[in-house]
Amino acid sequence: MSHAAHGPNWPARIAVALVSLLALTFAVALAVTIGEMRIPLETALKALGNGLFDLDWPVSAIQQGVIFDYRLSRALMAGLCGGALALSGAILQALLRNPLAEPYVLGISAGASTGAVAVLILGVSIGGTALTVSAGAFIGSCAALAVVALLATGAGGASDRVILAGVATSQLFNAATATIVTTLASAEQARGVMFWLLGNFGGVRWPDLWIAAPVAFIGFGICMLHAKALDAFAFGVDAAASLGVAVTRVKIVLFATTAVMTAVMVSIVGTVGFVGLIIPHAARFLVGSGHARLLPACLVIGAIFMILADILSRVLIPQQILPIGVVTALFGAPVFALILYRARKPK
Amino acid sequence: MTLAMREVRWGTAGRMIIDGVTLQAAPGRVLGLIGPNGSGKSSLLRLLCRLRNVASGVVMLDGRDIAGVARRDLARRLAFVEQQATTEIQLSVCDVVRLGRTPHRAALASWSAADEAAVNEALARVGLAERHDQSWHTLSGGERQRAHIARALAQEPSELILDEPTNHLDIQHQLAILNLIRRLGITCIMALHDLNLAAMFCDEIALLHEGRLEAAGSPDEVLTSETIQRIFGVAVAIRPGASGRRHIEYLIEAEGRERS
Repeated sequence: MSHAAHGPNWPARIAVALVSLLALTFAVALAVTIGEMRIPLETALKALGNGLFDLDWPVSAIQQGVIFDYRLSRALMAGLCGGALALSGAILQALLRNPLAEPYVLGISAGASTGAVAVLILGVSIGGTALTVSAGAFIGSCAALAVVALLATGAGGASDRVILAGVATSQLFNAATATIVTTLASAEQARGVMFWLLGNFGGVRWPDLWIAAPVAFIGFGICMLHAKALDAFAFGVDAAASLGVAVTRVKIVLFATTAVMTAVMVSIVGTVGFVGLIIPHAARFLVGSGHARLLPACLVIGAIFMILADILSRVLIPQQILPIGVVTALFGAPVFALILYRARKPK
Repeated sequence: MTLAMREVRWGTAGRMIIDGVTLQAAPGRVLGLIGPNGSGKSSLLRLLCRLRNVASGVVMLDGRDIAGVARRDLARRLAFVEQQATTEIQLSVCDVVRLGRTPHRAALASWSAADEAAVNEALARVGLAERHDQSWHTLSGGERQRAHIARALAQEPSELILDEPTNHLDIQHQLAILNLIRRLGITCIMALHDLNLAAMFCDEIALLHEGRLEAAGSPDEVLTSETIQRIFGVAVAIRPGASGRRHIEYLIEAEGRERS
């Protein structure tokens, strides 16, 4: 919540937006120029110009393909995925009043991957386009959300029980995924599915972005419309209701939004943990707890974090690409520990 | 401007918690809700501000059934202070009080001069004006309760509902909080545990027992030794206190007599 005087401070807002955009552009530029194949910056820019504005600069077809169809789409997808997951984490933390809540911890990602894998393996003959996989992931994530809600309510409904319910839900859906993979998938399918479940931007192409981008931005818009309601949840559900928040409606809308965002991202890149957990905490350190600032901050920081994590996944081990989930966990766990430690200190 | 309930029933898990209560709060006065543990005080307060929906009967604000009033409109009239509500989120005192403006602001509205004025006035009324930027987590129990009351006042309500606002506070802060509430000048309905404090600070008292209204009226009418003996199971001697209100002295022999 801002301490500024009344009325929006437009110059400051525009400055922050510009800086964010600049940082994002820089991250994407890094992602496009860094990689196995060394391509000079000039060539990279020309390839971008060709792809984005239909120019006719002389760039070899291979370089053009690597820069535009492979690296740029991949970087943008990483940004959308990071932003949407960070946003989902912030929403879940506010609604459940638990700082550990996020799609991965609560098993929503596991549910989405069960749905996606089920469609992928059982429904390949039907066509198995990304949209169908997304739909399967959405059904899976909603099922996981329902199981978490049921378990948490059954365990007394306290906000700390939600995490335990999430652990149980993750186990349940991971077991379901493993069952589908081991009993129904061919060896080749199984290898592909397993790699994809750890998070992988390798298969991303432009059509994936036409699904991910609207979902991330519409999701962000819906969340922003509820920023004040989310603030009101600070002291619990009854406090929010007594402040005039239509608690049930807000919860349904925002849980559904989280489920859709998680499902679509999981269906395209697989499960990536820790982003939804860490980024909201990092964003709170920077902009405070008010959701009108926190949510945009999550979107931007989550996007930048994921783009950089993807670069690392490509350069950390030469000749190899690490699953993105491994990189986020590698950096996420220590950062989270640090955040916890620093949150305890000032008293 | 009055808040009233008629023949209200409500239960949970197959158990009747509130069993046909009819009650009215007089405008601008302090109505105290007393009763043994589990008598339904908290539930009754939650029904009054529609945090729970009545199973039967009706809760009325200015003669209008609140079931048909939008949640946000209700929040501009009724403010609710829970006992011991806390948060893990890092907030300043003014952040907490600003929450009270939620029902007055549209989804994308920016912070207005009227909002700022309401928050500053509320902070001043509870004596926390200079704590404006202090972290919520560094406040004492009494100060937190004051901040909650300020948050409720920032809603600019005509009725304030408080659930045991003095719970877990030391006696100095209990008296300070109740003095503050009494001087607010708006209709207050609050659950209280301490019978003497209820006698000192309430204009009217309603006595709940097992979900039923046992007695309602002035402290002198409700807090009789016969009623207290019957409902709370303790013997008391009642004498005029220094404040002009009645003072209830608990008699220890009563317990021995009951046992034998």
